[in-house]
Amino acid sequence: MANMAVSRIKREFKEVMRSEEIVQCSIKIELVNDSWTELRGEIAGPPDTPYEGGKFVLEIKVPETYPFNPPKVRFITRIWHPNISSVTGAICLDILKDNWAAAMTLRTVLLSLQALLAAAEPDDPQDAVVAYQFKDKHDLFLLTAKHWTNAYAGGPHTYPDCDSKIQRLKDMGIDEHDARAVLSKENWNLEKATECLFS
Amino acid sequence: MDSDIEMEMESDNDGEFDDDYDYYNTGEDCDVERLDPKRADPEYFEYDCLTVEDIEKLLNELVEKLNTILQITPSLAKVLLLEHQWNNNAVVEKYRQDANALLVTARIKPPTIVADSASTSAAAAAASAQLLRIGSCGYRTASSSASSSNSNSNSTSTSSSLLSSQYRKMCPVCASSQPSDKFYSLACGHSFCKDCWTIYFETQIFQGISIQIGCMAQQCNVRVPEDLVLTLVTRPVMRDKYQQFAFKDYVKSHPELRFCPGPNCQIIVQSSEISAKRAICKVCHTGFCFKCGMDYHAPTDCQIIKKWLTKCADDSETANYISAHTKDCPKCHICIEKNGGCNHMQCFNCKHDFCWMCLGDWKTHGSEYYECSRYKDNPNIANESVHVQAREALKKYLHYYERWENHSKSLKLEQQTIDRMRQRINAKVMNGSGTWIDWQYLFNAAALLAKCRYTLQYTYPYAYYMEGGSRKNLFEYQQAQLEAEIENLSWKIERAETTDLADLENQMDIAEKRRTTLLKDFFPVVGKV
Repeated sequence: MANMAVSRIKREFKEVMRSEEIVQCSIKIELVNDSWTELRGEIAGPPDTPYEGGKFVLEIKVPETYPFNPPKVRFITRIWHPNISSVTGAICLDILKDNWAAAMTLRTVLLSLQALLAAAEPDDPQDAVVAYQFKDKHDLFLLTAKHWTNAYAGGPHTYPDCDSKIQRLKDMGIDEHDARAVLSKENWNLEKATECLFS
Repeated sequence: MDSDIEMEMESDNDGEFDDDYDYYNTGEDCDVERLDPKRADPEYFEYDCLTVEDIEKLLNELVEKLNTILQITPSLAKVLLLEHQWNNNAVVEKYRQDANALLVTARIKPPTIVADSASTSAAAAAASAQLLRIGSCGYRTASSSASSSNSNSNSTSTSSSLLSSQYRKMCPVCASSQPSDKFYSLACGHSFCKDCWTIYFETQIFQGISIQIGCMAQQCNVRVPEDLVLTLVTRPVMRDKYQQFAFKDYVKSHPELRFCPGPNCQIIVQSSEISAKRAICKVCHTGFCFKCGMDYHAPTDCQIIKKWLTKCADDSETANYISAHTKDCPKCHICIEKNGGCNHMQCFNCKHDFCWMCLGDWKTHGSEYYECSRYKDNPNIANESVHVQAREALKKYLHYYERWENHSKSLKLEQQTIDRMRQRINAKVMNGSGTWIDWQYLFNAAALLAKCRYTLQYTYPYAYYMEGGSRKNLFEYQQAQLEAEIENLSWKIERAETTDLADLENQMDIAEKRRTTLLKDFFPVVGKV
């Protein structure tokens, strides 16, 4: 069975390498070890989304029973998205769970994840805090997502206001990532974030 | 006169009515004393205990019946029946109305096959033609679909080569190139190689999925028919597993069948009356509610008993703990747990100092430590407080829960009483007071007591969820009556000293009458007769 997993992955690897998306630099895939059980994917943030201009790295683990069971995928790059955990990078996507089909490939997974970035489903959230902001304070959500894309995925939009608030917390001895996470969660309200961190 | 002797001999068995029947040897209308049991006994329930073989036979008969009507394969008929609660007529009717829709909803056909012909009647004809073809063969190998695709423009099969056996193609799952006769596809036309299907089936079966196995293609939910699975999966362990899981699904989808919940019991109970009545397995003697499969719970209905049991599982420990270890702060009424030995408490919420024993202000305790005998009236606490309300709700729950739990315990204790009773009777028989047979009535009485107490136990969840009003008053009145008679009966059984059974039998009769009256009035299945 493992043989089939390996031969499939090898083939899919080639498929991705030959695909137009590689040419357009919108998806990428590379090997982590020689056993073909772990791969590293990369997707570009889709245009007209807060993730535009960012490159998001994914951890892909291939189970023994692949392709009859789905690959285990999570974001290594931190991302602010309702269906992706802002803490662990875990993804809530049907095709990675019950709706996986043996005929799907790594390419379809990467393209589906790209599609997920373009069309979030806040009613089926992985990260409830992000989903709440997405629904309730959408402008702030867009700002936060762009800021995270800039900070972690190399996106173009900078927000000096956010950076200065993070710096304020850093000056108090808070780790940068923690500061960003708490400020994002508290809708960039410095007072509330401080209260949350020090209470 | 011969018949008299016969009757005596037979009456050792409890078949009194049968004897009557034999004796008079007439029709039922003569049988004045025999009341219609459905009216007389609110718990009357007709059911059969069947074995796996019986059920297989029963299901196969249904399948065959549908086969002969619609001319389809058994595996297809099974799927259709499964999707329609094994109602043959419903399947046939739907088939006659719209065969295509029937196949799509049963996941035998993909929803998006677009018929070439514009007219709907032609499309319907094509659909039913397809049903016949699917029916004759639930799946297609690539070669057969290749040949059929020439005659049928509907087919979505990708294969079109006439040189089918030489034609090699790529399996999208294992990514290897194989001769096309190694490929199989379902009605959706997605074609995969034999080995991939086999491994896929085994992976799915291993996860407990059987008749719900779907096509391997992306976003295609066409169901894999049983015969394809059994053709390709050859390992006996996996085949057995598949068949077991499938059988379970078939039984569960049949509204008139229930697996006996007894441990390791293979019996399946069948009844045409789907109601919350007690079925008792004839093999392992487990009794259960036919509707929900839980312990029998008259007069409470299935939803309420479920709610109650969940509540008890969630709350009882917590509630007991709260009630045993906490008190409300006399000032702000927040719930406080005492976690140290000192009785001088300071509320963490309002900083009020008070005595744990008497809940009085600690200031008055200064010199007379632990002398809380001055406990007068409980200072009348503000009733509108949320905490008070929560505690009131808890009190109400505990009131019912304690009684529920108490009767449950009593039932167990009375089992021990029966054992003691047996010893006592042995002693009495040894002393010459009555024979063993003279004392048998006590066992009947104990069995009746258990039955009554069981019902009484299940009246408490009912009462807990009942809305206040005259009906609840009536219910609680009847409940109290039943409880009183049960305790009388219990007392009399434990202290029975003579073989004089008139008094005890009278008590038994009263208790049972109270029980049936309550059930007649309140057991939801029966309603008002």
